[in-house]
Amino acid sequence: MKEEILTDAVLREFLLGKVNDEDGARIESLFLTDPEAREKVLVIEQELIEDYLEDSLNAEDCEKFLLRYGQTPAQLQQLRISKAIKEWAVRENASLAVPGGTSIFQRLRAGLWMRPVFVVPIAVAVIIVTVFVGDWLNVRMKHAAIQQELAQLNTLASLREVPPQLVSMELRPIAVRSLERVSEFKKSADVQTVELRLPWIQKEHYPTYQAEIRRVSGDESFIIPNLPAKTDSLTTIRLRLPTRILSRGQYQIRLSGIDSGGALGLTEEYAFMVDG
Amino acid sequence: MARDSAIPPESFEEILAWLNPNRDVAAAMYVQLRQDLARMFIWGRCADPEGMTDEAFDRVAKKVHAVRPTYEGDPRLYFRAVANNLIKENHKKIKTQLSIDDIDLPEPPITETEDEAAADIEECLQLCLQKLSPNKRELIISYYAKEKQAKIDHRNELAQKFGITVETLRVRVFRLRESLAECIERCLKRKRK
Repeated sequence: MKEEILTDAVLREFLLGKVNDEDGARIESLFLTDPEAREKVLVIEQELIEDYLEDSLNAEDCEKFLLRYGQTPAQLQQLRISKAIKEWAVRENASLAVPGGTSIFQRLRAGLWMRPVFVVPIAVAVIIVTVFVGDWLNVRMKHAAIQQELAQLNTLASLREVPPQLVSMELRPIAVRSLERVSEFKKSADVQTVELRLPWIQKEHYPTYQAEIRRVSGDESFIIPNLPAKTDSLTTIRLRLPTRILSRGQYQIRLSGIDSGGALGLTEEYAFMVDG
Repeated sequence: MARDSAIPPESFEEILAWLNPNRDVAAAMYVQLRQDLARMFIWGRCADPEGMTDEAFDRVAKKVHAVRPTYEGDPRLYFRAVANNLIKENHKKIKTQLSIDDIDLPEPPITETEDEAAADIEECLQLCLQKLSPNKRELIISYYAKEKQAKIDHRNELAQKFGITVETLRVRVFRLRESLAECIERCLKRKRK
């Protein structure tokens, strides 16, 4: 009975206010009186917060989440703290994953390559790889072409020009995801380029910036280096994108400062939706 | 607005005695019950969970003397019933009230900028991390190594590595993360004083 209602799925629904009153009352009663149930609810709550920070909630759940966890200054502080802990862990992971160690592939090769029993499977693998390599190269070349086009579109000289069929849109950084809705860009035939204005709210400023854009739920990302900043009262980085490379869905941009030595500095994140 | 609860000492003692005959145990239960009711008010979408928790305790304090002798079952469920009534009243109040002056507004927003808030949290995080053992720090780092779908497999592997179930791993990281977050909150409070 208790196990039935304390599943991950039901508890997530409960925390988002999606269960009926009867189930809600049962969960609340267990939460108050059963230490094990209490901890379980709190674990799921933490994972829900994690999913929110990773942008993994759908629009409806995101809205419900914010109604419960993003209303008061104390709640916003909790979200900031969760975000800081997560970001610290991600940073530490990145710094631990230094190149130079022996890769799994190297170890496999050292252990297996010279044994005759593996010659046939390796030959088969080579044939399969050869078949697929053509497709892979096509994809890579297409990716490289877009990457080059993006770099060209965002040079200082290109940014000085205002091409026809350009629309401009300002995005707000997801310092802590605010209550505002994600900005939306509606695709239309008469708009060929969208210019995203990205305010830089960090104290540190850099000679240039680098943007990485990727579609949430997609695995392809593009990096646009050497973006200049425009500084009036607020530092803003402009990023232009050809609309034909955008498809319906949510996009995420990671904007990083590049210091004079070429090293990556602080990062700010932005998000926007593409419709149409 | 959060306010000081004005529970008369004799009612407070009676609430403690109702929660548990052992005063120390009762005091711990009282603290946890406050936190849990505040969470219930968050789930009930109340703008001022702390103030509502005070109100719930005030209401119980007024009735405890009469209710306690005849009430059967866990007294925390009585608190739950009171909290639920308050949530309903709160929703009704929001629906019917016309003047913003009558609504209990949450505490005014903290005036520091987003940048300052992030910098303060980062500073406190670093201080609190120093209090964690290297093993605990590594556990948090490994646990959050992957995001989205990849994290499920990764956490299964991690649990296997430690020879525990994923459930145990989740709880272990939850407790660790909770204590880290509490340390950060205490540090932030000290900074703002």
